[in-house]
Amino acid sequence: MDLLLDAVVIGVLLGCFYAAVSIGLSVSFGLLDVPHVAHPAFLVLAAYLVFFINEHYGIDPLVAGLIITPLFFVFGLAAYRLYYETFERRGSDAGVRGIAFFFGVAFIIEVLIILQFGVDQRSVTAAYIGKSWRIGDMRIPYRMLVAFGVAMALTLLLTLYLSKTYMGRAIRAVAQDQEALRLMGANPIRVKQWAFGIATAVLGLAGALLIIVAPIDPTLDRAYIGRTFCVVVMAGLGSMSGTLVAAVILGVAESIVLTMFGASWAPAIAFAMLLGVLAVRPQGLFGRRS
Amino acid sequence: MTNAEARVPLLRIVSLTKRFGGFTALDNVSVDIPPGERFGLIGPNGSGKTTLINCISGAFRTEPGTVLFRDEDITPLQPHVRTRRGIARSFQIPRPFRSMTVAENLMVALDFAAHEHVSVAQRRDTMMSILTQMGLASKANASATKLSQVELRKMELARAMATHPKLLISDEAMAGLSSSEVDEVLDLLMSLASQDITIIMIEHIMQAVMRFSDRVMCLDAGKIIAIGTPSEVMANQRVQEAYLGT
Repeated sequence: MDLLLDAVVIGVLLGCFYAAVSIGLSVSFGLLDVPHVAHPAFLVLAAYLVFFINEHYGIDPLVAGLIITPLFFVFGLAAYRLYYETFERRGSDAGVRGIAFFFGVAFIIEVLIILQFGVDQRSVTAAYIGKSWRIGDMRIPYRMLVAFGVAMALTLLLTLYLSKTYMGRAIRAVAQDQEALRLMGANPIRVKQWAFGIATAVLGLAGALLIIVAPIDPTLDRAYIGRTFCVVVMAGLGSMSGTLVAAVILGVAESIVLTMFGASWAPAIAFAMLLGVLAVRPQGLFGRRS
Repeated sequence: MTNAEARVPLLRIVSLTKRFGGFTALDNVSVDIPPGERFGLIGPNGSGKTTLINCISGAFRTEPGTVLFRDEDITPLQPHVRTRRGIARSFQIPRPFRSMTVAENLMVALDFAAHEHVSVAQRRDTMMSILTQMGLASKANASATKLSQVELRKMELARAMATHPKLLISDEAMAGLSSSEVDEVLDLLMSLASQDITIIMIEHIMQAVMRFSDRVMCLDAGKIIAIGTPSEVMANQRVQEAYLGT
């Protein structure tokens, strides 16, 4: 019983971490319908930049994450513009070809990381890494609490941004009806580009979390394609609070399976849940489409 | 009317042709619409009415042909730029942003179509006054999914109004409504027309078009077959043939 409780608590924290790394995809794929399979590669790239800043300048990984956030915003604007000009504007099968585009981008990023940083695992140092908080018999690593806090902050900020600001309203509008938004006098491509910039910008902090939670290697993105897409689809495309809930469900499921059945089963959980959700409730838990 | 005709047209369509592959949806259509006119557009299904307004609003590129709005050639402009110039349209089937309230739906239009910088408070005031005019004030905070059909039609018009249009294109805003609801929407359009907004109304409900319009144009197979006062157009033999299919 204690073991199960342990697994659930760790699972919730792990889930919050998954929420933080998925929430950008919840905007880019969930709201904008961009088949952004390079999202995890962007995430790993962010983690390596955090590593670089941490190692060379001794800056705290979270602060490093904040430093690269504006860079990633601009990177996102450029990436969307390239995707739009070369694929999206060219017609109806853009989705399928878009997947090819983003797979290509993901591989290029992987190779660039290997060329620059090598294939060895990398990690960062900070006061909260490697220490735990003891409650009774339970030990909760501080790094997971950091993930929890950042995930909450990102979810709250994005939810507020989408509901309270005029750009946020436009992003929700473009997700539903691009042509109707155009008739409101807004350029949907500009709105989508901006939203993609935001989706990429949040990867700054998410990348910091990735390397805070565990050491990274250049091909780590592959393990996160299944997890991030599982979370976003299970949430119901484009729901921010749904992303948090879905990520926690995935985290708890992975953690329980890990505890009860062993580590080799855990990676299969995301895909199993993804297939389950698509079969039973394709609109997700908090789906935007009725 | 005669006065209005003497002025510079608000909208001038010159030799507009639109082809889809081998099918000619619009064939050399030219028409001037003076400011303040209530213009009815009729024609059987597939006659090119919606194609014509898609060319005016910019959803379709035209080749060849020119669309002039307030003496400016808007043919190369994208739809959102045309909206900012003052051309608004409502959809035949309402397309609300479903995850938003009625107020938010209007705010999107007010956020982007505002011609000069206005404060959020001012935008909210404008939104409420449009909703009041449309009889939707009590629904401001309701989700767009909770509206009835007639309320949805009104919200489409309200959203179009929020872009500060000089020309409003109403695409079958009354289709499928009961006769009392048709009257309601017709009264709304009349009151908008009295605020110096030029209105192009596409409608299948002939009675409504006849009551509303200063001038009516009938399209058939992409060509103008009649244009004139409602009674002239109704009396036109080609119009009768087009509608009766003889």
